[in-house]
Amino acid sequence: MGAATIIVKVKQIMEEAVTKKFVHEDSSHIIALCTAIEACLGHMLKRRAAGFLRSDKIAALFTKVGKVYDTAGEVCRKVQEQLQQQADLTRTQSVSHEPLRRQGSSTTSRPLQPLSAQAIKHIWVRTALFEKVLDKIVQYIVDNSSKYYEREALMHDSVFGPILAALLVGPCALEYTKLKTSDHFWTDPSANELVQRHRIHGAHRGQDSSAGRRPALGIRKRQSSGSMSEDRFAASAREYVESLHQNSRTHLLYGKNNVLVQPKKDMEVLRGYLSLHQAGDNLTLKWTPNQLINGTLGDCDLEKSIYWDYALTVPLRQIVCIHCHQRPDCGGTLVLVSQDGIQRPPLHFPPGGHLLAFLSCLETGLLPRGQLEPPLWSQKGKGKVFPKLRKRSSAARLIDQDRNGEEETAADYVFRIVYPGYRYDAITINYHHTTGSRAPSLDDDEEEEDRLHAMISMICSRNLTDPNVMKDHGEMMEMQGLGGSPSSWQQAEVTTHESLCQSCSTAAMSSFLPSVPLKMLCQNMKRQIVSRAFYGWLAYCRHLSTVRTHLSALVNHNIVPPDRPCEASGGLSKEVWSKYQKDCKNYKELELLRLVYYGGVQHDIRKEVWPFLLGHYKFGMGKKDISQIDAKISERYQQVMREWKACEVIVKQREKEMQSAIFAKLSSGSSIDSHVLRLVHRDSTLSNEVFMSVDEPDTGSQETPSGEDSTPTMTTLVPPAALPAEERPLVEFDSPDSGLPSSRNYSVTSAHSQILSSIDDGQSTEEEGGVGEEGRTPGGLGECQESLTEDRLCCQLDKLVTNGAAIELLDTVALNLHRIDKDVQRCDRNYYYFTTANLEKLRNIMCSYVWEHLEMGYVQGMCDLLAPLMVILDDECLAYSCFTQLMKRMSQNFPNGGAMDTHFANMRSLIQILDSELFELMQQNGDYTHFYFCYRWFLLDFKRELLYEDVFAVWEVIWVAPRISSRHFVLFLALALVTVYREIIIDNNMDFTDIIKFFNEMAERHDVQHILKIARELVHKVQSLMDNK
Amino acid sequence: MAGGSVSECKEYLFKVLVIGELGVGKTSIIKRYVHQLFSQHYRATIGVDFALKVINWDSKTLVRLQLWDIAGQERFGNMTRVYYKEAVGAFVVFDVTRGSTFEAVSKWKHDLDSKVKLANGNPIPSVLLANKCDQKKDSTNNTALMDSFCKETGFLGWFETSAKDNINVDEAARFLVENILANDKGLPYEESNGDRIKLDQEAVAAESKSGCC
Repeated sequence: MGAATIIVKVKQIMEEAVTKKFVHEDSSHIIALCTAIEACLGHMLKRRAAGFLRSDKIAALFTKVGKVYDTAGEVCRKVQEQLQQQADLTRTQSVSHEPLRRQGSSTTSRPLQPLSAQAIKHIWVRTALFEKVLDKIVQYIVDNSSKYYEREALMHDSVFGPILAALLVGPCALEYTKLKTSDHFWTDPSANELVQRHRIHGAHRGQDSSAGRRPALGIRKRQSSGSMSEDRFAASAREYVESLHQNSRTHLLYGKNNVLVQPKKDMEVLRGYLSLHQAGDNLTLKWTPNQLINGTLGDCDLEKSIYWDYALTVPLRQIVCIHCHQRPDCGGTLVLVSQDGIQRPPLHFPPGGHLLAFLSCLETGLLPRGQLEPPLWSQKGKGKVFPKLRKRSSAARLIDQDRNGEEETAADYVFRIVYPGYRYDAITINYHHTTGSRAPSLDDDEEEEDRLHAMISMICSRNLTDPNVMKDHGEMMEMQGLGGSPSSWQQAEVTTHESLCQSCSTAAMSSFLPSVPLKMLCQNMKRQIVSRAFYGWLAYCRHLSTVRTHLSALVNHNIVPPDRPCEASGGLSKEVWSKYQKDCKNYKELELLRLVYYGGVQHDIRKEVWPFLLGHYKFGMGKKDISQIDAKISERYQQVMREWKACEVIVKQREKEMQSAIFAKLSSGSSIDSHVLRLVHRDSTLSNEVFMSVDEPDTGSQETPSGEDSTPTMTTLVPPAALPAEERPLVEFDSPDSGLPSSRNYSVTSAHSQILSSIDDGQSTEEEGGVGEEGRTPGGLGECQESLTEDRLCCQLDKLVTNGAAIELLDTVALNLHRIDKDVQRCDRNYYYFTTANLEKLRNIMCSYVWEHLEMGYVQGMCDLLAPLMVILDDECLAYSCFTQLMKRMSQNFPNGGAMDTHFANMRSLIQILDSELFELMQQNGDYTHFYFCYRWFLLDFKRELLYEDVFAVWEVIWVAPRISSRHFVLFLALALVTVYREIIIDNNMDFTDIIKFFNEMAERHDVQHILKIARELVHKVQSLMDNK
Repeated sequence: MAGGSVSECKEYLFKVLVIGELGVGKTSIIKRYVHQLFSQHYRATIGVDFALKVINWDSKTLVRLQLWDIAGQERFGNMTRVYYKEAVGAFVVFDVTRGSTFEAVSKWKHDLDSKVKLANGNPIPSVLLANKCDQKKDSTNNTALMDSFCKETGFLGWFETSAKDNINVDEAARFLVENILANDKGLPYEESNGDRIKLDQEAVAAESKSGCC
């Protein structure tokens, strides 16, 4: 125990050292290691060695050793020094909040700093460790252990002592430090560290085992290890025989030939090969008649051989009891009893301790999860022996292990196979599938389904081949094939077995329901098994249909292959693209998209290709069409720019006036004060409406009731200056940044059209006057607002401000402009492209888009979506058009769209179906199956998760995927991200915070090509599922 | 032995929210507090970001603050509910140069109080931060007004902060942690989630056992 703890702690420390290059002195691993070492050192210490200072045995030991061993003496001196310093420190210094942070590994003069309570507690071992002499001291203690320890002490043990000393060599070679780096805290492993640790672990955890642990999607052919019949269908007979040997998937734990089995009563006893296989956590026992192995039969005969019916395949998961009968003259007999009390045909071992050898292998194989009860005993010199037990009854139920009551070796044993910590829920007769509510979910125990599967086939085959069996006698034996060979045991053997092993059967049965008559019990069991099988089958079918209905909408049903008509992994290259351009009429659009889907677009031609992918141009368009579209879009863009820029001028004007109005109102107050005043004087149960303060009670009567009025009236024009400051609605304009623009969007559209018309009016008058020509000149985009003269502006302003709806509009615009400005200023400033000039373009595009979609408004994240388009297209007008196209899909993810919830729901279904183990973990750890940790992924098409170059690659695939594989490719990308790190997620038992933190830290560090590949594979997997009706 | 009387070291993990309108400087305050850095170029937060600050509170107390930097335009109602879950303290930030962000403070506070509560049903301790005070145009003293505002809205107090010039950030955090610790007094941090904490405590427990394992 002590040794095991130390091994674990040493491993952890070494691991930490590898991943972090250093170990912090206060690391919990060090504390844990010290605790473990002290426990070992303190074990059965001689009283004399423990000394007078009984409160601290370790201190006494070290002091003692220090007197004769110089290295230890040095440590003692340092410890005394430190303790002295600590005492001084507590005396002189009040509580210091920020202890000095210094690097001071293994320096002789340590800086004064308070040690933690734990550090002081373990100061002896700790100091020795930091001085890198702990291994030497322990070695010394071991060498002289007789001096300090009682005979039974751990340290005195000839094996353990030296091992302990040797183990400590590693930790004593490490650097320990007090330095903390700001982003590297020892208690909270970073995502990077988790990934690295996983690599270390992953190396010695075979891929097989993880694949084995992971429940397969139970729809395609099931690789059940359980039933012989399935093996027969899954693999050829030859392969089966080969599977008896050790291979990469399974380990052969035991093999013995000439083990005897009598398959039928009136049959000869067969010799066969008994083997015990381990694959992952599953143990399987196989017995194969020699006739099948010896190679005397040809392949064809082999397949048909009736000996297949006699072969045994027993998953040990199903076995609860093992009965052993030893006869001194003829070896031993072993009977396996499964959960339902059913016995397998007895296996006769030849004489010579083979039975014991088998049990010993089995016991080892069951570890670490299972064990034999009672365990085999170890005896010096002889290895494993049967436990010496006292018989309590004739049924050889052997309980009392402590007393060696009986002198002679017991001839009969009953071993139970137990899995401590694992409950038998999955095996009890109560079956939970009966209600439909749970049936569609996939979180049911995969193994149980396996078992049911075996049962179904068993029952079916039985009913077909021999309908009488069910009604006949021998109720117990007829179910013998359960999980084993389906066509094996006829009622005929019953008598054989009962005579052979009567004690076993009664013992096994009585352990279930002692008082009920056997016949009734069997009837009951039969009924339950049949109904269980039926409901299992029903649930399975329901589940299949649910899976199909859920998933069928997520993927396209026709599969576009990566290799036909040609290999597409090279992507869309410049050559292919120029070929297309030369002959665009004959080139197949789908083929181009297929290339993009499987291999992306060559970077040089992205600028040309993207407008096609995004739908700005259509494939097959001629040059003429293209320029026509460009002209149209350009015209539109300029128009939109004129509109919002005009509005922006008004907004700015209003802001200025508002400022001066506030100053007029509160000559000495800051803007904050005014708000404070207002808020304080109101009811403090503030709701959002308070901030929509257009209709202050004391506002002037000139203002029409805002909001609901969809046909705003144009009231008398009142020059702004003529109004007293308090009465002007402008005063209240302060971009009510409530964060809920959606609630303020009433009548915005009507106002929108109105302001548009008013601006148009203004422009038309300008044009009549010949002033507005600038707006059409190519360079005049940015200056169009100048075409509106001050007078006109004021005039328009006056017209508008007196109109409630228009005020609403101006407020909305102001709010959006403000938000856009905030985000444009900080949009990917670390990326070379975003210079001030390009940010200005970004702003223009964003304002234009938002102006056209004021009902939605600007939402954070839109800039992130536009930025990569800007980088590639590098053309304001083109980027505007492409962004508009992109947003047709993406806007659905924003709060008013509703697509986000659909994504989450789909993720839920997909993970539930494709990875139920992970799904369960998510549910158990605070249930984050709401999948909010994917929010940013979906909102921005993974833009924040990836580096720019990778964003390009991923986006292209997302754009073409609807035509090639799935309209919901983002789901599969998300799934791929989860899949790539699933082991880390599971191993670290992550909860919502952990996972969201993990993925935040992993941002821009993913292997994009790998993730794309997995995502495509996942789509394909689901597609084949649909295919496989 | 000298250290024999020292009681066991307590370790706390506190989840603290940082909320407020977009662009008021939430991320900047956190980066300043945790990394002692300031940049104009922090990107807009989408969803939520994290930072961890470890404070050696006193010789017996280690406090780890898990700061949740929640996007200012977070409107996905149920999502903030999930983000707020199990928080034990909050900073509500506004921008002194923009009045509207101050108006929104009440909205955020209200949102907070309606979605998360302490175990005893009280609202979680929260502190108001008037950020960007380095850019304040006038120097009028409105302490009294702010104090009464805090009282009415249920803030423990307020600080004028500047992430840029590193004004009052540490002080505000210290003030909040003091209050959280006071709420927590006598209760070791175990009923809240977090396996790591439990592990740590087990380590402490294991260590106090004597003899051989």
